[in-house]
Order: sequence, then structure tokens, then C-alpha cells
Amino acid sequence: MTVDQEDSNSPSMRFEIVKTLKEGAAARLGRIAFAGRLPIDTPNFIGFTSRGAVPHVTPDNAEKHLKTTAAYMALEDFIERPQQYLKRTPPIYQTSTTQKHPTRLHSFTATPPSVTTILGARRLPAVPAPMGNTANAVSVFTSTGFQSLTTAEYSSAVEALQPDVAIPLADLSQNTTAPNSKRALRMAERTDEWAVGWFSALSGSRVSTFAPVLPIPYSIQWEYISRLAEDYLPTGQLAGLALYDADVLPDLESHAPSLLPLPRLALTNPPTPHHILRQISLGIDLFALPFLNQISDAGLALSFTFPAPESTASTTTTTTPGSPQPLAIDLSDPAHATSLLPLSSPASCDCYACASHHRAYVHHLLHAREMLGWTLLQIHNHAVVSAFFAGVRATLAEGGADALEAAAKRFAAAYDAEFPEGMAERPRVRGYQYKSVGGGEPKKNKPAWGKLGGEEDGIAKAMEDLAVEEKETR
Amino acid sequence: MASQKIFTSPALKFELVAQCSTTRARASILTLPHGAVNLPIFMPVATQASLKGLTPEQLEATNCRLCLNNTYHLGLKPGQEVLDAVGGAHKLQGWNHNILTDSGGFQMVSLLKLANVTEEGVRFLSPHDGSPMLLTPEHSISLQNSIGSDIMMQLDDVIVTTCPDKARMREAMERSVRWLDRCIAAHRKPESQNLFCIIQGGLDLDMRRECVRQMLARDTPGIAIGGLSGGEAKDDFCKVVAACTELLPDLKPRYVMGIGYPEDLVVSVALGADMFDCVWPTRTARFGNAITKHGVLNMKREVYATDFGPIEDGCGCPCCRPVGQEGAMGITRAFVHHNAAKETVAAHLLTLHNVWYQLDLMRRAREAIIADTFPAFVREFFANLYPDSSKYPSWAVDALRGVGIDLLDT
Repeated sequence: MTVDQEDSNSPSMRFEIVKTLKEGAAARLGRIAFAGRLPIDTPNFIGFTSRGAVPHVTPDNAEKHLKTTAAYMALEDFIERPQQYLKRTPPIYQTSTTQKHPTRLHSFTATPPSVTTILGARRLPAVPAPMGNTANAVSVFTSTGFQSLTTAEYSSAVEALQPDVAIPLADLSQNTTAPNSKRALRMAERTDEWAVGWFSALSGSRVSTFAPVLPIPYSIQWEYISRLAEDYLPTGQLAGLALYDADVLPDLESHAPSLLPLPRLALTNPPTPHHILRQISLGIDLFALPFLNQISDAGLALSFTFPAPESTASTTTTTTPGSPQPLAIDLSDPAHATSLLPLSSPASCDCYACASHHRAYVHHLLHAREMLGWTLLQIHNHAVVSAFFAGVRATLAEGGADALEAAAKRFAAAYDAEFPEGMAERPRVRGYQYKSVGGGEPKKNKPAWGKLGGEEDGIAKAMEDLAVEEKETR
Repeated sequence: MASQKIFTSPALKFELVAQCSTTRARASILTLPHGAVNLPIFMPVATQASLKGLTPEQLEATNCRLCLNNTYHLGLKPGQEVLDAVGGAHKLQGWNHNILTDSGGFQMVSLLKLANVTEEGVRFLSPHDGSPMLLTPEHSISLQNSIGSDIMMQLDDVIVTTCPDKARMREAMERSVRWLDRCIAAHRKPESQNLFCIIQGGLDLDMRRECVRQMLARDTPGIAIGGLSGGEAKDDFCKVVAACTELLPDLKPRYVMGIGYPEDLVVSVALGADMFDCVWPTRTARFGNAITKHGVLNMKREVYATDFGPIEDGCGCPCCRPVGQEGAMGITRAFVHHNAAKETVAAHLLTLHNVWYQLDLMRRAREAIIADTFPAFVREFFANLYPDSSKYPSWAVDALRGVGIDLLDT
């Protein structure tokens, strides 16, 4: 595939619906193209970065081996204020651009130019902020702690960084429980108000706006959504939708059909491919998939294909015919210690990790806590998901929405409902990834260091025993 | 007389290409079972069959064709059984170039305080479960045969060079010779794996010379100088290397173990050594340090937060090479600063850069030796590192003066 040849003066984003399979909000085939970037055939997924990099994958490996052509980045990863330099301007805003990296976001993160960048304010899932949002600012979590990000700061950041796509601020609660109706109404009102400010601040910008759709019932956010449809769709300022809940789509179909031709990005954090399939049939075009990074950190190699192989059970002898296959293989399992098989099998995978390495090596790397294990798993797992989406698109192209439904059903029967847990030790968790709530959470990894005198004494004792033993044998 | 410049043994060919007309520096080609490498060479250390986050493909792209694995670590994980089942370390890590393994003896000293050396071998407690274990020369060679390394090292009796006990030092030196004999006898694959001896003898030059004579009598295909880099004064280090290389035959590779600071490499090359290894360049990368010709820069310092230049100007590594060139990533100091000690990617990038720097330093030294401009190369190297010549380390000045380069004579 080659990069989009459209010259850079053309409209920044072009979304073409290649095939509508069913009227309304439903699965469809599309193509999103930005000048100079690789086009993205949808349904598809985008890579999920941490501090500007897909975890464990350097830009050269990303360009050569990571089968994804777009990356989600969170502004909160770039705007920390170190204690000694509280007043400093975040360095990313001062980045110089080059011909290879013509935007600050690309340049600062050394993201390959073929990769489309999508900027949001927060990581996904975002660490909940204790103080919540205010009338004109949201709380964000940086490596130096929480700070507030005003709507004005955010829109000027977007102008400075020039991502290909930006997602305006949404007033989200970040709690796992659904907001009560009063809070939900305020979320809609604030997001609506912020959207007005956003579009006036970014009028004339080349950045494509994917407006947030809130994870609350349509009936509460209808005013906001009507404004998007009536005020910003006709002016061309609204380029897409960023949905925090895919189940709002059927309501959009009935109440705001004019928004349906827009590309739909899911920030719904689907936990498994089964969830992805369901959301594709609801009409999602593009997914941000943070779970991929967690799967790799857990030492798991994805092992599913779509459509599911005709007779998944009969290809392995270890399971009884008909029983569901695991979605991923736990490579920390000693069963793989001497296995020269590629990372996932029987599913064939053409990724670098499967072509050049085997399970025994990744097992060894996980066991030895060598960072390369996570790198190889990232490359493999992104390839499996990329092939999964290619399978989805092929199914849609050949048999339409009904074929997808049938294949999804077969997929659900062929594979387990959830990922295995993964017994490998994880990489060290960093402060910007996690915040203890209330304290007392169990440690995820064994402590690397013991107490002085604790274990040492054990060794001294064993040495003494040894000396006694030697004396006795003499 | 070309025929006099080549030494061959069953699993190795050593070809002397050029010798510096001033110093003892040499340029050569060492052909091993997995291909030829140019000497002098720095060998990065992939302790546990992985070069700290780099894929074998990325390591290959730094032009590395010979790296280290540690026998002690591979013996623990994945273990000899797995190595045998998989078919050796090359196959385990997908590395089709050369591997050198140490004997495991050094880790006994560096990692295990409670190791106990007897004539039989090194007795230590398993770090897994505390059970007593014994590493003998036979076991070390058996492990290295399972690993299948292109160059294996004999098990030696390593004690810190600064040990004041002369009798113990002599015992260690003589035991190392006896252990070499046991290693040679235990070696099952001399046709496909090379076994190098290790010269011991602490800082006592006479003992070192005696050890050289005894080791040379065993006629191994290559020779290592061991026991250094353990906290001795640099003056002493240089004297030992110089005393050994003086007695060594021209047509065998000479490996100084555990050396990695750029100054040490350049001086050791001038003293006639060919091969070096050290974990420092890759370890310091993980601490956020970049090796450059002007010294080591800690990328975590705030000054680099808004420094949008490459890690090192003029460096040809995939991080630094000018944007637009094949394989250039366009990494800035600011991006490394942004992620140093936060995302593993920053460690990987600095590891790539540092390994490239070390290999490139040796490549440029080799070119200078071949062009017979090595003394000028050494002068330029020190001038870049120390803008003020009065700051030149005296050990380096003295050692180089001993082989005909006066750094202070401008």
C-alpha cells in the first residue's frame, strides 16, 4: 500500500463509504484518507500510544512491523509540570518540524509520516480525577500528577500540534458506574458549550474534528447532537464522531440521520473481539484498542482468526472437539518452554515475531523479564488484530451484514468469551498509568528486592548446613 | 607474504590485515562459524539471549555480527535441557551471526558473594532455591557446548585483581591453567566451537607473563586477558594488558574481558588488543545516558527537554542519522528525555545509539590502523572527549606514551 497521493492543499480528510450494506447505523465498508498518510480501510483499529509511543515498540519497528496505520495519542502524556520547572512551556509545543515530520506531534514523537495521528485529551481508560471537571476545564493526569486543562488551552494545543484528527473535550465522569440523570444532563450541557467554543477557536484549521458522543442516553444529549448536525456538519467543520458508547448509534439513526455519513471512531474500550464484532454491526468504523497493550504486557499471544476456522477444535488434539478455543495463548506457561512453533498456531500469522522467532524464545524472555518479550508480543498481537479486521472487511465485502452476523455467531461459539489471565510478570507500572484509589491494592509483581538480612540469612543458613554435610561425609 | 598473515584452526581463521607503524594496534579479520568479523571489535552483551529490548534484526542493523551471551544466566534460564531441545542459543534467539559466551565463572564472583572455589570447581548456592550447586570446568564446557557459541571461554578462577594475598593469586593463576586442560578435555565440538584460554595473574606482571607462557603452550585458537576491570587502577590495567600483548603471538585474536568505556577501548587497541565486551554501554542506556564523542550525556537532564537535535550530531545510528536517509527515525533528545525512565522505548533507542557508537568507534579505529593514521585518530578521540588537554587522564597519557603516542605533544 502507498501513502495517499492527494496534495496537501486538498481537504484534509476524505472519508469514502465504499459499500453500504444496510441502511442506517450498521456495519459498512469505508476508507479514511489523509494527504501523505496511508489510507485506512474500515472497519479497522488504531494503535494506542503511551507518551507518544506504542509501548515497547520503537518508531523503526512500528514502521516496519506494526500492522497499524494510525495512532491515538493523549495530550495529558505531554504536558506534565516537573516540580522544579512549574512554569515551563511543555516542550512539545516548541518542537521544530521537518520535511519528514511536518507537524509538531509527528515530529516530537518521531511517528512515521505514513501514520495518521488522533489526539484526545486523555488516555483510555483515563485515570479518574478526584476533583472532577469544572465549567471550562477538565482534570487530566500527567506523570507529575493531576492538573486542569482548560478548553482554551486544549484547542490551542491542538492548533500547535496539528494532529490529523482531534477529539474535542467531553465532560466525562470517568467512573465505572453510569452517571445519574442530573450529572448526565450537565455532561451534555458542558460538552455542548465546549463544542461551540471549540469550533469557533478552530475555524479554518486543517485538523479534522471528531466530536465526542457521550456515554449517556440520546434523550439527554439530543440538543448537543442536533447542534452538531445543524451548525457544524453543513460548514464542513465536523469530520467525524468519537463515540464513548456504541449503543447510542441506533438513536442517531432515528434522530440525526444526517450524521450517519461521518466516520465513527469508538473510544469504548471493548474488552474482547466479541465486543468489537458487536460494535462493528452497530456501525463503528474505527476502534482505539487499549486492551492490546495490556494483553502483550500480560505475556499473551493472541490466537484468533476471523472468520473462525471451519473446524477449530479438530486441528488440535489437546482439546475435545467442539469446545471453544482460547482467544490467546499464555506464553509464560512452561508448556511452551521448548516449542519451536510460531507465536500463535494453528492460526497462521505473517508478523515479524512469528516469522523470525518461536514460542520458546518469547517464553524465555518473559521468564527472564527481558523487555524484548513484550516488543515481540506487541508486534504479533497488532498483526492478529489487523488480520481480524481484514477478515471482517472481506466477510462484509462478500456477504454483507448478514454474513458478518453469521460469522460473528460462529466466532462466539469457536472461541472463549474472555482472555486468559496471563501468569507472566508485568512490566513495571509507572505513575502516569495508574493511581491507587484508597490504597491497599495487592502488588501485581513479586518484589524484586528483599529485606536486607531476610533472604540473606536463609542463604547463610543453607551454607552452614552444607558445611556440616560436607564434614559428615568426610 | 600473505601466507604468513593467516592463522587457521578448525573453527576459526584469523587474518592480520594491518599493523600500526607506531603503536601495537592491529586490524584483522576473524572468521568464525557464523561469519567474518572485523577486528578490533566491541561486542555488546546480550546477557539472557536478548540485547536489552532490541530485536535481533535491530542489532543486526547496528552492524553487530558478534555478541555475547552469559553462560551462567542461560544455564539458569532457560536451562541446559531447553537449550538442547531448541538446538542452541542461535536458534533460541533467532540470531544467525556469531555468539561468544563466558564461562559463568565471573558471575560467581560478581553476583554470588558466597561462592566457594575448590580444585573441583566453584561451589555456590542456587539463586533459585538456595540449594548447593557446583560449577566445574567440565560442566561449564558442557553448557557452552549446549549453547553452541562460536567462541567459548574456559572456566577460570577469578579473584579481584586488587586482592593482596599473593599466594591466593598464584593459586588462582595456576588453577586456571589446570582448569584449561580440563576444559580442553571436556570440549565435545572443537570443529565448530572455539575455546579461548584466559590469562590470569592479577596485577603481578611476572605472574601474568608466566601465565601467558603456560597458556600459549596449550595452543588455543584465541587468547583472553581476564580478571581485569574489577576496580584496579587504570595504570595497573594498562600495564597488565601491555605486558601480556607483548608476549602474545601476532596471529591469534586477543580479547580483553569486561572493557567498555570508550577511552579504555581506544587505549587497549593501541596496546595491541582486538576484542572487548562490557555491559556498560547498554546498561547506561537504560539509565538514560547517551555515549557521544564528547562524553556521556544524561538525557534525563532538564536541558534536553527542549533540545530538538539528534542524540549526537553526525552519528549514523538509526536514531540520529539525518532524516531522509534510509532507516532514519528522526529521534530528538527531547523525545528521549520525555520518555527516559518512563517508557521502555527510550531505553531501546539509547541502547541502539550506544551500541552503534561503540561499534562505530572500533570501525573507525580499524580504518585508521589500515590507513596507518591511528595515532592521529587517538589524538582526535581524546581532543573531542577533553576540550582541555590538561584534563587528559594521566593513565591514558602514560599508557599511550609507552607505545609511541604522546598525547600532550602537539
